[in-house]
Amino acid sequence: MTIAGHSIPEEILWILAVIFGVLLSCSAIIYLLRQRRDTSLLKEIHLRVWSWWRIAIGVAVVIAGPPWMGALLIAYISFVAMREMFSIGQLRGADRAGIFAAYLAIPVQYFLAWHFYFEQFLYFIPMAMFIVIPVLLVLNGRMNQIGRSMSIIPAILMLTAYMPSHMVLLYRLPVQPHPAGAGGLLIFLIMLTAFNDVFQFTWGKLLGKHKILPYVSPNKTWEGFVGGILTTSCLGMILSFLTPLLWWQACITGFVVGLTGFLGDSIISAIKRDLRLKDTDDLIPGHGGAMDRLDSILITAPFYFYLIKYFAGI
Amino acid sequence: MKDLLLYLFYQLIVRPWLTLIIGVRFSNRQVFDNVRQFIVVANHNSHFDMVSIMAALPWRKLKNTRGVAAADYFGKTSFSARLMNFFFHAILIERHRKEGAPSAIEILDGHLKAGKSLVLFPEGTRGQAGVIADFKKGVAILLRDNPGIPFIPVYLDGFGRVLPKDKWLIIPLVCKVRFGEPVYPAGQDVDEILEKVRDAIFKLKDKDERDRNVFDYK
Repeated sequence: MTIAGHSIPEEILWILAVIFGVLLSCSAIIYLLRQRRDTSLLKEIHLRVWSWWRIAIGVAVVIAGPPWMGALLIAYISFVAMREMFSIGQLRGADRAGIFAAYLAIPVQYFLAWHFYFEQFLYFIPMAMFIVIPVLLVLNGRMNQIGRSMSIIPAILMLTAYMPSHMVLLYRLPVQPHPAGAGGLLIFLIMLTAFNDVFQFTWGKLLGKHKILPYVSPNKTWEGFVGGILTTSCLGMILSFLTPLLWWQACITGFVVGLTGFLGDSIISAIKRDLRLKDTDDLIPGHGGAMDRLDSILITAPFYFYLIKYFAGI
Repeated sequence: MKDLLLYLFYQLIVRPWLTLIIGVRFSNRQVFDNVRQFIVVANHNSHFDMVSIMAALPWRKLKNTRGVAAADYFGKTSFSARLMNFFFHAILIERHRKEGAPSAIEILDGHLKAGKSLVLFPEGTRGQAGVIADFKKGVAILLRDNPGIPFIPVYLDGFGRVLPKDKWLIIPLVCKVRFGEPVYPAGQDVDEILEKVRDAIFKLKDKDERDRNVFDYK
C-alpha cells in the first residue's frame, strides 16, 4: 500500500491490522459493558485501553509512517523520558546548566543517528557530553554534592537519549533487503519487548514462587523470568518473517531481548524504590509515567541493534 | 478582536508549548465553568506562574481577568508595562506606595466592582521552590469587602525549578497547575479569611503526591 509516495509493506499492514483490531474490539466490549453498568473498575480499564490507543498510534507512526516522522517521534519520546528523569532526580539548583546541555544533546545525537554518522554517534555522548556536563557543573562553582550530579546527569542522558537513539539507526542500517523493511526491524523489537513484559508477568502470576529481586520488585519471580525469556524466544522465531534473520538468529535475539528487558525494568524499579515513588509520573493514565513504559525498551534497543548488525555481518 | 487574538495565542501557542515542551500539567481546569467572577490565589515561584494560569482560562474568563503585578518590577519601562497589559491585562501595583496615591486595595477593589476577576499572588514576590511564604493581607480584605466573589486556590508545583527567580535559563521539567474548588469565605475577620486562603492552597499542596519528592533546591 502506498500513501503519499511512501509505501508500507504488506507484513507491517498485517501487524497493524491485528494491533488495531484487538484494540477496537477491547474498546467495543468496554463500551457495551459500560452501557449496562458503569463501575470504577470499568472506568479504570477504559483509561488503560485509551492509553494503549495512544501508544499504538505512536507505534504505527514509527513503523509505518515516513522514516523522518518516526525518527522525530522517537527523539521527542526520548526528550519526554529525560524530562521525567530530571524531574524526579532530586538535582541541585546549580545543575541547571548541565541539565540544559543534556537536553541540547538530544537533537545532536538523533541528527548523528539519522545520517548514520556511526563513529560520531558512538562517541558523542559517552565521550564529549561526559566532559561537557561536568565542566559546566564545575564552572557553576558550587562543589557541595557535585560528584552526585556529575554522575546522575550523564547517566540519565545515556539511558534516555543514547540508548533509544539506536532505534533511529535501524532506519538506516544497510541490512540485506527483506520484505518488511526498517519498519519490520522496529516492530520486531517493540513487540518482543512489550510481550516480554507481559510474558514475565503472566508466568509469574501462574507459577511464581521464588522471588528473584525481593528488595526491588516483590512481584518478580524466577519462574516468571525464565518462562518469560523462553516464551519471548519462541515469539522471536514466530515473528522472524519481519526481519532478515534466520530462525535460530531470531531465537537468540528473542532471548537477549527477554533478558535485557528484564534488566531495564529492574534498573528503573530500583531507582523508583530509592526515590520512594510508585510511578515516575502520571503522564499516561493507568500506566504511570513515560519511563514506566519505556524502562525495558531503553535497554533492549541497543542490544538488539548490535545483534542485528552482527547477524547482518556489517 | 484583541481579546480573541490573545485567547488564540494562549490556546494555540502558549498551552502546547507549556504542555509539550516545558512539561506542565493542568488539573481541574473546569472549575471556571461554574463561577462568574473570582479571585485566583496562587503560590508564586516563577514568571511562568501567571502565564500558566492565563493559559488555563476559558475564553469568556480570559477577557475579564486581570493579573496583578508589581509596578516597580514590570513597570520599569513603558514597553514592559504595555506588554504586561497586553498579555495579562495587568494591573501594576506599586509595592511601596507614594504619598497621596490610592492604595493597592482601593485600586483592586475598583476592578472587582467593575466586574473583573483577578489573579493574585499573596506572597507578594517569587519565593523559593517548594516553600510557601507568609501571605499579605490584601487578598483577605478584598474577599471581605466583596462577599459575593469566591477565591479559587491554585497550587503551582515545579515552576520554581523551570525558571527560578533571578535566572534566565528555562529548563523543561514536569510541573503542575492544580486548581481547587471555589470558596466563598464568609465572615468579617481578615485573619480568619486569610487563614482559609492559606489552608486551601496547602490542602492542594498536600494532595500533590509528588510533594513527597520535593526538589532539594539550594
